[in-house]
Amino acid sequence: MEACCDHKQDKTSSGLKKVVIVGSPNVGKSLLFNHFTGRYVTVANYPGTTVEVSRGKAKIDGVSFEVIDTPGIYSFSPLTEEEGVARRILFKEKPSLVIHLVDAKNLERLLPLTLQLIEAAFPTILVLNMMDEARRLRIGIHQKALTQDLGIPVLETVLTTGEGLKELKTAVRHLTGLEAESPSLRGTTVNYDGRAPVSLEGALARIGESLAGEYPISKRSLSLLLLKGDEEVRSLVKKQEPLVLEIAEALASELKNHLQAPLEFEIASSLKRRAARISENVCRTKKRSWRSDVRSGRWGEFLSRLTMNPLTGFPILFFVLYGGLYQFVGVFGAGTVVDFLEGTVFEGFLNPFFVKVFSRILPWPLLQDLFVGEYGMLTLGVRYAVALILPIVTFYFAVFAVIEDTGYLPRLAMLLDRTFKKIGLSGRAVIPMVLGFGCDTMATMVTRTLPTVRERIISTLLLSLAIPCSAQLGVIFAVLAGHDRALLLWAFVVGLVFLFIGFLTAQILPGERPSFYMELPPLRWPKISHVLTKTYVRVKWYFTEVLPLFIVASALIWLGQLTGLFGFLIRGLAVPVRAIGLPAEAASIFLMGFFRRDYGAAGLYDLVSKGRLDGVQMLVACVALTLFLPCIAQFLMNVKERGWKTGVGISIFILFFSFGFAFVLNQILVRLGAVL
Amino acid sequence: MAQGPVPFSGEVTCLPLSSLPVNQKAEVTHLEMQDPQRLKKLIAIGVLPGSPITLLQRFPSYVFQIGWSQFSVDRGLASAIYVKL
Repeated sequence: MEACCDHKQDKTSSGLKKVVIVGSPNVGKSLLFNHFTGRYVTVANYPGTTVEVSRGKAKIDGVSFEVIDTPGIYSFSPLTEEEGVARRILFKEKPSLVIHLVDAKNLERLLPLTLQLIEAAFPTILVLNMMDEARRLRIGIHQKALTQDLGIPVLETVLTTGEGLKELKTAVRHLTGLEAESPSLRGTTVNYDGRAPVSLEGALARIGESLAGEYPISKRSLSLLLLKGDEEVRSLVKKQEPLVLEIAEALASELKNHLQAPLEFEIASSLKRRAARISENVCRTKKRSWRSDVRSGRWGEFLSRLTMNPLTGFPILFFVLYGGLYQFVGVFGAGTVVDFLEGTVFEGFLNPFFVKVFSRILPWPLLQDLFVGEYGMLTLGVRYAVALILPIVTFYFAVFAVIEDTGYLPRLAMLLDRTFKKIGLSGRAVIPMVLGFGCDTMATMVTRTLPTVRERIISTLLLSLAIPCSAQLGVIFAVLAGHDRALLLWAFVVGLVFLFIGFLTAQILPGERPSFYMELPPLRWPKISHVLTKTYVRVKWYFTEVLPLFIVASALIWLGQLTGLFGFLIRGLAVPVRAIGLPAEAASIFLMGFFRRDYGAAGLYDLVSKGRLDGVQMLVACVALTLFLPCIAQFLMNVKERGWKTGVGISIFILFFSFGFAFVLNQILVRLGAVL
Repeated sequence: MAQGPVPFSGEVTCLPLSSLPVNQKAEVTHLEMQDPQRLKKLIAIGVLPGSPITLLQRFPSYVFQIGWSQFSVDRGLASAIYVKL
C-alpha cells in the first residue's frame, strides 16, 4: 500500500492540493486570493506589496485547497529577491494548478509568462482579469480561439465585482481533479529558432537528452534557463548532474559566438513574436471611441499627469503631506484623539481603577509597582500602547492605505527618483521610505522589494536613522506644537541628515548603480473597503507585535530598577544626555527608546507636559530621539533582514551619530542664542 | 529628429527614446545590449522590437506608454531603447 502514495506528491503535508496564483504587479492577485480564501491580505496598487507570501484555505464544493499568493513577476527570470520568491514557490510547492492572472487589456505583453509557465509544464490556466476595462476600451478577446492557441483553459473575470468568479471556482475544482499530464492541460510550445542564425532548438534538445535527474520543471524549460545562465537553476543541476552543466555551458558559449544579441534577448523576442501572433489572432479592437487613447478616462489621466509633472506634482505632494500627515495624523490623531484617550480615559478613569484593584489584591508594593507603578505594565505599558500609539498608528496607516489604493505611490517614486539616485537609491525605495513613517520595522521588511543588496543596506540604515515612525512623529508634533520654528527646523535638520548620510553611504558602499523602472497603474478612487481592511491588517500586525513588547519592556524596566541595573544604565546615559544640553532625567527616555522607539518619544511627551524643557532643548531632544537607536523590534528586523554584522553595525553607528549630531546641534543653537 | 539620430539598418533613422518628442507615436526598433541587467529589465516589462511606444514625459523621470500600460524609467533605461517614427 505504500507505493500508491508516491504519485501524490502534489499534496501538502496537510493533504491539500495547492493552487498558486502568479502574475505581474497590479493585476489583482491579492484580490483573487481573498475571493478564494476569504482571509484578507493587502491588496496593492503598486508593484511589490505582497512581500510575505500569503497562504490560505479555500473550499469549493466541499473540497479544500491550499491557495498561495505570490509576489508579482513579469517573467520567469527573476530580477529581485522578491520575484525570486515567486519562482521558488512554483519550484518547491508542486502546485496542482497555477493560475496566471493577467490584465486583459495588456494580454499581448503578458502572454510570454503564460507561454513560459506552459513550457515549464505547470498545470496552468489563464485568467483574463479586468475585462470591464478591456470592454470599455473596446478590446474584444476571443476566448475559445485563445484556449485553442494556448492549449490551456482560459477564463474571464472582473474581480472587483466578482464577475466570472463562479466559473473560475468551478474550473479550479474540476482541473485540480485531473492529472497534470492529461491532454486537456498540455499546452503549446514555442519554437525558438525563429530568426536566429544558429539552432537554439538543437542546443535545447541536446541538453534535454542529457538531463536525467528529478526537477520541478520540464527539461525544456530547465535547459532554456541553463542556457541563459540562471544561477539558481545552475546550482540545482550542478548538485545532481555536474556534467550536464558543462555541456550546457559549452553550448551556451557556442551560441553566444554565433548570435548577435544576447541569448536572453533572442528568447524573449521569440516569445514576444509568438505572443503577438496569438494576440493578433484572438484580439479584436472594435471601432475606437473618442477616448480610445486614454486608458483610464479623461479625468484620471489628467490628474495622473498633474501628479507627475514636477510643477504641479511637488505642490500636490506637499498638500498630501500637510493635509494627510500633519493635519490628520499629527493634529487630529496625535492631538485630539490622544488627549482624549490619555487624559480622559486613562488618567481619569482606567489608571485610578487599576491602582485601586491592584493595591487591594497585591499587598506588596514591590509587585504593585510591576503592574501599576511609574513604569507599570498596565499604567505605562498598556497606556502607551493603547492611548498613545494605537490611535496615531491607525490614523497613519489609514492615510497610507488611501494613498496606496489610489496608485499615487508609483507616481511619487517617479517624481523622486532623481533625488534618490543621489543617495544611492532608486525611486523604488520611496515606497518603503513612506511606509517607514508608519512603522520602520514593517518598512525594513518591505526593502526586500529593492533589487540590489546595496540599495537594501542603504535604505535599512536610513530607515533606522532618519525616518521617524508615526508614533514618534505624532509625539514630536505634539511636543513641538506651538513651536512652529522648532518644528520646521526639526524637519529640515532630519531631512538634511537623511540626504547627507545617504549620500555618504552611497559613496562608500561598493556596488552597481541602481536603475529605475516602475509600472504606473491608472489612478483610481480609493475603495473604502480596501482602505479599511488594509488599515486593519497593518494595525493588527503592528499591535500584535507591539503590545507584548511594551509589556515585556515594562517588566524589564521594573526588573532593572529592582536590581539597580536600570539606575546604572541611566546614570551612564546621563553623561551624553547632559552633553547635548538636556536634564539628566531625560536619560530614561533614551533607554526606554531602545525598547520601543515610540516608547521613548512618549516619555519625552511626559517630560514636556511637566514643563521641564525649553524650546532649544525640545528641538535637540526631538532630533536626538529621531536619530537615536531603532527600537528593539527594528533592531531584530535589521539583523533578520541584513544579517548580524550589518544589523549591529548600523546600531553602533547610530548610537554614536545621534548623540554626536545632537551635541553639535545644541552647541550651534546655544552659541547663536536661539530661542525657539 | 535633430537630437542624436542613430542610423540603423540603412534607410530607417532611429533615435533613443530619451530623444523622442513627447506624445509622438513610435515603434521600438532595437535595444542597447551592452548592459545585461538593463536589458533584462526592459525585456521583463515587455519593451521589445516591434512594440508601439509613446513617450509621455521626460522630467523628472521618463514616462512612456506601451500597450495600455505606462511605465516610468530613468535616463539610463530610456536611452537604451531605440525607436523609429
